[in-house]
Parts: sequence; C-alpha cells; structure tokens
Amino acid sequence: MSAPRTHAAAVPAEPAVPVKPAAPETPTLADLSARLDRAVTRGLTAVTAGAIGRYQSAVLRIGISLTWLLFLLREYPNRGRLYGPDSPWGFDLAKQLVAGNHAFTVLLWSDSRAWFELGYAFAVLASASLLLGWRTRTSALMFMVGVLSLQNRSVFLGDGGDNVVHIMAIYLAFTRCGQVWSLDSRRARRAAEKAAAEAGAEGAPETAPEAGRPAEAAEAGEVPSEGAGKGLAADSGAAGGVLARTASAEGSAPATAAPAAARGRGRAGLDPVGIALWVVFGAVLVGAGAAGKLSTGWALIFWACWVGQAVWWAVRRWAPGEPRTVMDIMGNVIHNGAMLVIAVEVCLIYSTAGWYKIQGSRWQDGTALYYPLHLDDFTPWPALSHALGSSDVMVMLISYGTVIVQVAFPFTLFNRRVKNVLLGGMMLEHASIAVVLGLPFFSLAMITADAVFLPTSFLLWLERLVVGAVTRGRGRTAVVPAQRAGEPEPAAGPPQGAHDSASGSGNGSAPGDGSASEAEPAAGPHPPTALA
Amino acid sequence: MEPREGPPPGAAGLSLPARIVVALTVGAVTVGALFHLGMVFLHVAPSNTLSKEHATAVNDYIYPEFEQNWKLFAPDPLQQNIHVQARAEVVKPGGAQETTGWVDMTAMDIADIRHNPLPSHANQNQLRRAWSYYSDTHDAQDQPTAGSGSDLSRTYLQRILQDRFGPTLNGGTVIRIQARVATTPVPQPKWVAGTTGTTTSYRMLPWWNVSAAPSGQENAS
Repeated sequence: MSAPRTHAAAVPAEPAVPVKPAAPETPTLADLSARLDRAVTRGLTAVTAGAIGRYQSAVLRIGISLTWLLFLLREYPNRGRLYGPDSPWGFDLAKQLVAGNHAFTVLLWSDSRAWFELGYAFAVLASASLLLGWRTRTSALMFMVGVLSLQNRSVFLGDGGDNVVHIMAIYLAFTRCGQVWSLDSRRARRAAEKAAAEAGAEGAPETAPEAGRPAEAAEAGEVPSEGAGKGLAADSGAAGGVLARTASAEGSAPATAAPAAARGRGRAGLDPVGIALWVVFGAVLVGAGAAGKLSTGWALIFWACWVGQAVWWAVRRWAPGEPRTVMDIMGNVIHNGAMLVIAVEVCLIYSTAGWYKIQGSRWQDGTALYYPLHLDDFTPWPALSHALGSSDVMVMLISYGTVIVQVAFPFTLFNRRVKNVLLGGMMLEHASIAVVLGLPFFSLAMITADAVFLPTSFLLWLERLVVGAVTRGRGRTAVVPAQRAGEPEPAAGPPQGAHDSASGSGNGSAPGDGSASEAEPAAGPHPPTALA
Repeated sequence: MEPREGPPPGAAGLSLPARIVVALTVGAVTVGALFHLGMVFLHVAPSNTLSKEHATAVNDYIYPEFEQNWKLFAPDPLQQNIHVQARAEVVKPGGAQETTGWVDMTAMDIADIRHNPLPSHANQNQLRRAWSYYSDTHDAQDQPTAGSGSDLSRTYLQRILQDRFGPTLNGGTVIRIQARVATTPVPQPKWVAGTTGTTTSYRMLPWWNVSAAPSGQENAS
C-alpha cells in the first residue's frame, strides 16, 4: 500500500548518481530511511517498468513446450493406451479419482474416442503454438489446459519430467514469455517497421527520430529501455540490490527515449484474428459452462482471462495513455512475480533432491549411482551402464558430485561465475541422464529449468549465432532483426561470463498480448454434448 | 534499475487512482507469490513443526495441481529390481480348466526399453507405478489400507495384467488371473566389503476374477 507514497517521495530523489550521505560513518535514522526509501523505489521501478528475464522466460517457454510436444509426438502411437479409451486406467477409474481430488482435465468430459482424439490434437497444437510464440498469451493458457488435461487424465503415468512440465505450464501462463524469440515479437516488429516507414514518409521531422521507432518498439514490447533490466540469473535471490547493479555501459540513448515512447505510441489495429480467437474461446467457455463441466474456480480463472483479453484489446485500441500504461505495469508485475516463483521453484527442486540424498546411506558411502545403473527400468544401454558402474572411483565422484551440486546450487546464485560453471555441469549431467537412464523428456525439462538461470549475455550470444547462421544460410538476404536495432549493439564475440546484464527489460507490452483474444482455432473443444 | 534521466516509465507520473491500482497489483502479486512459495516449501520439505500444524491448509492448496516430488533416487536409490509377473486360469472349449505358467510382465517392458533412445511411458511407468500405487494402498496381506484408493489401485493393476493377457490364452478363455511380485536385490558393488543375498523373493497376490468371468468363480480376495 505504500507504493504510491514512496514513489511520490523518492522518484525525484533518484538522480543519475545517488547522493552519498555526507558522513557515512554515522548514518542517522533519516539517512537510513532515505536509503531504504530509495531501495524500495528502485525495487518497485524494477518490477513495474519491465518484464525481468525476457530471454529466460522465452527459453522456458520454448524448452517446456518443446519437451511436451516431442513427448506427445513420441507417444502418439501409444496415446490411446496411455491417456485414451484403451487405457487400463479407465474412464471410470479416472473419474472416481478426479471426483475426489478435483484435478482439472477436459478429457473426462466425455468418454468418446473422438473427444479424446480432439483433446490430444489440441494439446499438440497448443504446444506447437507456444513453441513458436504464436499468440503467446492464449497459447500459454491452452498449453496449460493440454498439459493438465492429459496428465490428470492418467496421473499414475507420470515421472519427474511430467511433474516439471506440469508445474512450469501453470507458471508460464502468468509470464510474458513471448516478448522475444516468438512469432508475436516478429509480427509486432514488422508492424512497427511498417508504421515507422509510414511515419517517415509523412515526414514528421521532429518526431521521427525520437518517437518514431522507439514508440513503435514500445508498442511491440521491444524494449527501448536497454540496460534497464537484467537476466533472472543473478537477481532471483536479491531483487532490489542486484538489480541496481545493472550495467550502464550499455548505452543510455534508448533509456531517454522511453518516456517519449510511452507517450508516443499509437493506437493498436483491429486485429481480426485475435477477435476471432477470442470469440471462439468465449463460445467454448459458454458451452462448457452450460454443460456443467467447469468447476467454479476454473470457470472464474478462464473467464477472467477472457475478460482480461478484451480489456487489453480495448485499452490498446482506445486508451493508449494511462490505462494502457497501468495495464502494462500490471502485466509486468505479474510476469516478474511468476519469474520469481519459477526461479525459487527450480531452487526448491534442487534443494529437496539434494537434501534428501544427503540423508541416504548409499549417497553417503558414495555408491548410490551404482544402483540405478543396475536397475532394469533405467538401463536402456546395459553395457554402457555397467561400464560406468564398474569403476568405484567414478561412481563415488559422480555420486558425491551430484549431491554437492544439488545442495549448493541455490547458494551459488549469489556468485555468477560459480553459478554458471555449476549450470554447465548440471546441464551436462542431465544430458547424460537422458541417454544412460533413458529419460530424455525428463532431462530436456530439467535442462530447460536450468536454462532459466543462464546469463542474458549468453542467450544473446546464442541468438547472434543462430541469426548469423540463418542469415548466411539465406545468402545474406535476411536483415538483422529490428529488435536488435533499437538496442545498443552488443559486443561481438562470446559472452563475458561476468555480465548477466546485457538484456534489456521492457516497458513495452508483451507482443503476445497484442490481440484482443487468442484461442486455439481449429481444435477448440466443443461442448461435449456434440460428441456424446 | 540504472539511473536514468527523467522519471522512470513505470508508476511515476501516474494519477492517484492509477497508482493505487499499481500498488494493489504489486501487493497482491507479492503476497500471492510468497504465499505460493511458502506452501510449496512446506509441501516439499520433510514433515516439520509448521507443515504438521498446517497440514490441511498445505494439502488443500497443493493438491492436485501443485503436487510435486523431487526425491529422485533419494534418500536412497532403489536397490532391487521389482518384476510384476502374472498367470491366468483359462477354460478350454471342452470345459477343462488350466493354469498357465508365470509371465514376466516387467520383462516385456524392459525388452521394449532396451536399446531404445526414446522409451515410452507405457513401458517405463505404467506397470511400475501401478504396482507402487497398489503396494502403497495395501498392506503385506493385500488388505486395503486406503479406502477407495485401494479399490482403484487393485482394479488398475488387474486391468493392466488382464489387457496384456487378452481375453484368450493358450486356446482357452481367461477367467482368473493372479499376480506375484518378484524382488531381486541388486548385487552390491564388487568393491564393497561383505555380500548381500541376491535371491529373488516372491510376494503372491490373490486370484482375481476377470470382469467377464462366469459366475461361480470364487474371488480369493
């Protein structure tokens, strides 16, 4: 509740260089209070002004949706046995269980095969759509519906990998995970370029250079305020303090353009595709509600999303000023809250995995790894497993190393270099688990969760690598993505390990929010009565 | 946030109602995120003072959608291979009854997992987890310990085995099936002093009538 007050009080007191107290050795209460005030303000600005960890959230979006998509495609031949009418976990059993625990699944709305096939196809499409970042806001919600529906239909099929996907699917729905590396951001960028070109043609000399492109970029969520944010990697633990250390060497010009951008952004287009999706989504909700399939809680959640989309669309179209800014801020705050939850969740995963292991005598005597390598269920390549398990020193080192890394990981977040080294090690271990223990989807999900902590500079380096390869592949016809143009040119070459902060954080809107509504088009569930 | 010229694009410069909305959002998200994380923490942490005191609240919040278990191979990895095996009693066309030999259902799964870079959940998890569900909801004498959960787990396990036999076997109609669970300890590493037995022990489950069994067959359970 103190937010407005602290803002009012402290914003003017946030000059380019923080004023040092005259006598630092004897801080008075007033000094402390002022310092606290500034810290709070900085923290508040950080969580309201932009989406923190845009690249990291995009990595999570791509990784989790890819994991689930590949899993669904791999299990396509077995889908009926696992989640469908041929499952030994029959409709009757699943229905009984869900009646008790109230898990959400659309697959128990009807026991017809057609409904199941529709649901499976829907889950595949939602995964692909989220992977590409097409209508991300809605895709994320639909992806969550697909994941929950399948997993809750046959809950005794899952393993750790399914658990990660399940939880991350819910968290992703709260993030603005489509601001980069998505079709949404490309669409927004093109619209911005078009608008900028038109503006240029009309020749508005004093607005063109400053408000022109950045304004459109803000529209597209393309972040004029470079350097304002930083990767989740380092800030997850210590929000305000670490955030304040953002590199300012990244250039300051775009930052000054931000307010102008906020003022200057124009009205959004009509977006007929979005409206169509929104209408379909609404119709499905009405149908499901009429058929009595939605619990009150879920109905509230879905209707709130539906109304939110409409409000967002209306605000972008008709109220580009303050209402738009407020909604933007709300979106950022929710995104940042979700990113915090995601980061802590990953830490909890490693902490519990590690701390429970410490209590096990096999992990203590350093033979633990030997046993999974001799369990029939986890040895797709027995020769490899047995070779790995035959060396006492190797088994001991890996067993101890695993526990050490898992227990230590959350604490290493306070030191980027150590954290990054550990991340590399953990990803490598998960990659080996994929092969040795035969758990590729679990491993992919865990590698994705790890990747949330990758430094932004590394992700940008990766982006340049990919963009460069694609550009060369196309014979240099492709242009440098315009989203880069607004940001100061990042230094070429591999990422500097110590810098997590190369990313911008936007005050722009998520491109995925661009449409009034987004619902999966073809595969939207019909009222089950139509199929019964 | 680095120092910037002019007011930050965030909440500053907004009207009072807008600031109130922003403040409410920040407050709600903060409380919500911390509450969620607190609940998840109490859920994944070992049973402790707080989680015992608030067990109902934690469970109500966590289940079903935020359930999680990260005790992967912990506190100790499983040190035995558990195979679910089954046999059937079939009625031949002439009316003669016959009991088949034991079929190792887990071995069938393992055969599909072997040398497969992308093993299926159907082979990795279905039977394995059905058995752990059954053993979690029954005592060693196969008496139910979890009410309706016990019924569900028994029916589930039976159906998996039944499906794998199919309706007919060895030229006869399957009328009853029986499962047993073979547990074989993994031999200790050769560099560890002392030896443990590696003999397989069996746990016999009762005969179960298959759903379409003719009347008159007594269900041994």
